[in-house]
Formats: sequence, structure tokens, C-alpha cells
Amino acid sequence: MSQSSKYKIAVSAVAPIVLLTILIVFILGSGSSFLQFGTVLPEIYLEKIDFVDSEIQVTVRNTGPIDVNVVVADVNDRIQPAAIEPDNHLTRFETALVRIPYDWNEGQPYAIGLTTNDGTRFEKVVDAAFPSLQPDGELVGYFALIGMYVGIIPVMIGLLWLPFIKKLSQNKYQFFLAFTIGLLLFLALDSLEEAFEISQNNLADTFNGTLLIGMVTILTFFGLYFVSSQLINKTKFSKISAPVSISLMVAIGIGFHNLGEGLAIGAAVGLGNLALSTFLIVGFAIHNTTEGFAIVAPLSKTKSVIPKLAAMGLIAGTPAIFGAWIGGFFFSPFSAIIFLAIGAGAIFQVIISIILWQRRENNFLSSWPLMLGISLGLFVMYITSIFI
Amino acid sequence: MLRSQSTKMLAVLLVIFAVSTLYFIFPTITVAQEEPKTFLTHTGLMIKTTGEVIDPIGYSGEPLEFNPDEFLRDFDYGIVTELDDGTILREFTITARDDQIMEVSPGVFYNVWTFNGSVPGPTIRATEGDLIQIHFINEGSKSHTMHFHGVHKAEMDGVFENVGPGGQFTYEFYADPVGLHLYHCHVHPVEEHIAHGLYGAYIVDPKEPREPADELVFVLNGLDTDFDGENNFYAANTIPFYYKHHPIQISTNQLVRAYVVNILEFDAVNNFHLHGTLFHHFPAGTDSVPSGFNDMLTMSQGDRQILEFEYEYPGLYMFHAHVTEFSEKGWVSSFLVKEQNEVKSDLIGNEPVI
Repeated sequence: MSQSSKYKIAVSAVAPIVLLTILIVFILGSGSSFLQFGTVLPEIYLEKIDFVDSEIQVTVRNTGPIDVNVVVADVNDRIQPAAIEPDNHLTRFETALVRIPYDWNEGQPYAIGLTTNDGTRFEKVVDAAFPSLQPDGELVGYFALIGMYVGIIPVMIGLLWLPFIKKLSQNKYQFFLAFTIGLLLFLALDSLEEAFEISQNNLADTFNGTLLIGMVTILTFFGLYFVSSQLINKTKFSKISAPVSISLMVAIGIGFHNLGEGLAIGAAVGLGNLALSTFLIVGFAIHNTTEGFAIVAPLSKTKSVIPKLAAMGLIAGTPAIFGAWIGGFFFSPFSAIIFLAIGAGAIFQVIISIILWQRRENNFLSSWPLMLGISLGLFVMYITSIFI
Repeated sequence: MLRSQSTKMLAVLLVIFAVSTLYFIFPTITVAQEEPKTFLTHTGLMIKTTGEVIDPIGYSGEPLEFNPDEFLRDFDYGIVTELDDGTILREFTITARDDQIMEVSPGVFYNVWTFNGSVPGPTIRATEGDLIQIHFINEGSKSHTMHFHGVHKAEMDGVFENVGPGGQFTYEFYADPVGLHLYHCHVHPVEEHIAHGLYGAYIVDPKEPREPADELVFVLNGLDTDFDGENNFYAANTIPFYYKHHPIQISTNQLVRAYVVNILEFDAVNNFHLHGTLFHHFPAGTDSVPSGFNDMLTMSQGDRQILEFEYEYPGLYMFHAHVTEFSEKGWVSSFLVKEQNEVKSDLIGNEPVI
């Protein structure tokens, strides 16, 4: 390639960007006069409300298109004096902490309102006030224990199905594999539903929660697909490669899912919802035993896998502990949504991998074990979900 | 080669994504920590903050544009001339506007519609039988009128003769009957025109003057600053909590006469509760015999009452809406009662000026 043609290519690549920049500068600058129509409304979002000693703390974010001042705070629509840190002027996307001295009552619902300089009041309702958790050694250990109960132990129990699966005929084995697909499919849908719910209730519209969930799910799917195919390629000379790598991907996918479950439990404890969190713990423990099964199913035809299995159990189960810590101490709707969407994308990738793997060996997709297995898997998960 | 490049690309993309995500998750990283200041609320709770205090209840910052203290004892008697037949003519020029943005509570800016530039409009005061001429000028962008309560001809009622933008109208009627009335814009939708501030008090004194007293005007109103059909703020004389942080000075054993007008929109009932003493009250101020002796007064939209009371003991006394929602959203005030000789004499007695 000659020097001049390289130059031409560079110009043709840069020229549209330069022109676009000029257009934007024009619209924001001198050309803006004829584009002034409509009204710009300020908007703030109360992201988080914490109840501490004789004080209600509100994390507020400017989610509107213009700067705002937060000028009045109220509790249950009654004006209260408050402090706002670092100051009451919020530029776009900036957050501030509003501290309202208030002798709140535990377990009672509160509507917290903030009024902006144009007189518009924004509100968030807390169903029940509970003291916010402060991370100390005891609580960190407590959450780790919950994560163990929910994540590691049930998954490990599920792995004990290995000898049973090993004894199965081809048809029955495929049935249980399909059963696993059913379980996983349900988990993915469950994660997505949870993500949409959090986005609806806790994330400002500005952040396009729905699109974020879709985007992260798809990115995770393709990203993990890429990684797992690399993994399979690298170990293609070994006969056990495909099942092991699929198991590993199942474990990773379930790991992300369990991170989401840990978040849910941690957040429930963090919000003081102890009855709910006990129930969640029992529910997830039962539920996650089936996840162990999903990891073990692809591995049944391989030999001497016990150490690998243990590692995979840890990969799948341990994230529940991290989830509980994050959910309990630093709950953020943004991170929760991202983790849940990653979990969903990871599971979709796992399902596709299992199907592709089995299709290569048999006529899997149109077999009765698949149909029966998926149906039963989904059904079992639906039933357990009712009790969670 | 190609693979390592694309791996690098992927890594860079991941880093960018992670950093931008973290920015949104944990945006508040306070860099400079100033010396914290201690902040004590009216309920006695105390916090230390490095930030700003937003406290409309204990406000002590710059005075706002509208000063309720000046409005409190300000009566507009008009330009006075005596006609050939001995009738007193009082002329007023009232201008309506609807484009002002006013700071109604510290930091809260609201589009007020005004008579003579303020909410409430001037307190118009005359003596029974006086001829009143109101030269009304509409400088607003919408039609407005002035509808006076009281006895007058139909065409002076300010209801059917809308005055368009830039228009003028002269209302003419005799001050009748004696009492405490009000005026407001009567253009549809009336609720909107009143809620934005087009109203004021109108007092007709009896020919035989009332007993001298420290006379105060309280126009009970509210502000729906976000237009959801509910008041965000309540007040006596527009500014929420004003007389809470600026108590009204009166003196012991001095007759106080309060002209109370309820022009609250959106809420059917407002009330008035006085601490530390009781008042005689005169509905619409039309009768010379009080209809009760009480410390509570319930008023519907448009109701007026004249209250007469004295304090025996000095000190700080509240008066407020006993609808506590209203009081906790601004309609809470206080009297600072001092021994009689401590109060400046020029505050006492409002003899009609002729």
C-alpha cells in the first residue's frame, strides 16, 4: 500500500467525525437559538434511604437535564430541617446526601420527600424503617455463614448425585440433562425478572434499566461463549474436555446467579426484612441443591473428577457470600441489575453449550427425553419458586 | 498476533465499561472535608455537617423579596378627596401581573400572580359610606378582574367583565357594609387565579371608629408549587414559617385586633389556634357583638373573622393552624409578647387617615 493511499484512508475515516463535531458545536453554540422549544423540567431521584440514630439519610441524584437545588426536605409530607452534603446544588448526575434529624420509629412506613428550587416535590416511600447495617466483623461473618448455607453447602449436596447419574442409560441421562436445562432456563428468567423489578423500583428512568439488562445479558452471552470455545479449543486433544468445560461454564453461570441470590438475601437483611430473609435462605438452599445437579450432569461420563467437582462447587457457591456482603452493606440498584443480567446471560450461554454438545452426539433436540426433561425442570422450579 | 490484539481491545473495553459503571455506582467521593458545623433543629435534635443546612423553619438567611412584617400592619387608604356632598372618595390604582417569579420560601421559586406586585395584594381600607374607585390595570398576559365581596351593583362585581391583557377597568362602589371582606380575581379557572396569588383583604371600618388597638392582617393562604392540586406550603401572609422565625412583637394588656382572611385553595377547611389567651371573634366583622370567646376558629374557603384579644403575661406564644399538617408545612407563627412599656408606641393604634 502506497503512502498516499494510506493517507486517503485516514482522511476518509476521520472526515465524518470532524464534520459531526462541527455540527454538534454549532447546535450547542450559535445554532442553538432556533432549537429552543419545549420546557426543560428538573428531576431528582431518591436512590437510597438509610435510617441511622435519630436521623434519616437520603442519597439523592440529579437525573434531569439541568442543574437543580434541593431546598426542602420532608418526612411524611411534613417539612423538616435538614443538612445536605456536600452542598444543595446538584449538577447533572451529581449525588448528595441529605441528612434529616428525625426520631423515626422502627417498623413504621415513611414517605421521604425532597423539593427542588422550582417547587416540585419528589418522594420515595419506605415500607418499614429499620436501622441500616454497619459492616462489623460479626455481621461480615454472619453474612458469610448465610452465603455458605445458601450457596456452597446445597450445591455440594447436589454434586452427590454423581454416582446416581453415572449409572443411567443414554435416554435417562439425556432426560436428566434436559431436566437441568429446564432448571437453568427458569433460573435465567428468574434473574431477569428480578433485574427488571429492581430497575422498575429503584433505578431512575434516565439509566434505561431495561436496555442495560438486555445489553449486559447479550454481552455476557457472547463473551462467555467466546471464552468457553477458547477453553474447548485449548483442550481439544483430551477426551474429557467438552464435558468438563461445559460443567465449568455451568458452574460460572450458576456462580453469577448465586451472587444475585446473595444480593437478594443481603438486601432483605439490610432492609430489616428478617422474616423474608429466613424464608429466602431456606428457599434458596432447596433450590440450589438442584444447581449441583446441573453441574454434575455433564460430567457423568468422565472419570476421576472429584477434585474438579469440588472446585466447581466452590465456583458456583462462593459468590453467594460476596452477594450477601454487597447486598447487605453496599446495596446499589445499579450493581444488582448488572450482576443479575450477567447471571442470566451466563446461563443462556450454558444452555446453548449443552444443546450444541449433545446435538453433536445424538439427535438431542427432537427427542422425547429433552421435551420431558425441560418440562419437568421448569415445572419443578416453578413450584419451588412459589414457596420462596 | 491478531488474537493478542483483539484480546487487548477486549481488555480495554472491559476496563472502560467497569470504570464508567463504578462512576455511577459510587459517585460521591468527597474530596475536601471542611470543618463540620453543628446544626440544631427546632425539635432539639443536633447533627454535625460539613454541608449546607436547609431549614425553612429556623431560617436566618437573607430576607426574601416579600416581607410579611411590612404587610402585617400596612393598610392602603387610597388617595382621598372630599366630594361636594361631603362624601369621601378613595381612589386606588391596582395593577395585575402574572409573570413574576418570586422566592416564596428559601430557595423555592414560584410564578406568583400579583395585585400591585405582591401576594397578598394591598389591604384596601375605607370607612362605611366612602366612595371607592379602583383603577384596575391588567399588565398580565391573561384576563384578570377584581371581584370585591360586599354590596355593589352587578356591573361592578368583577365577574362578567373580564379585563384582557393590557386592558383597564374602573370599579366604583360605596364601602358597604361594615366588616372584613376580601377581593380576588374571578376569571376562570378561578382556582388557578386565586392559587397563584390574586387576592387581598378589604376592610370597611364603621363610621364610629372601633376601639383603638394594635391591628394586624393575616391572610391565610397556601402555595401549590408543583401544581398537583395540593398545597406544598401553607402560611399566614404567604411566606411559610415566617412569623415562626420572626415573631410578631405585641405588648401585654394591649388590645390586639387581627383581621383574618382565609383564601386557602385546595383545602376546604383552615383554622386558627391561639396560645396563651382567648379571643372574641366577629364573623366577617359585620356585627359589633362577638359571636364567641375561644382559642380555636374554623374557617372555610373565603371566610373572614375579626379577632380581638389581649395577653396578660409576657413571653413567646405560638399561633397556628390546628390542622397540624398545615402548621408543619408553614402555617405556624408566634407572638413575642413584651411588657407594655417595652414596645415601641408607633406600632400601636391605626387610626383611619383622612
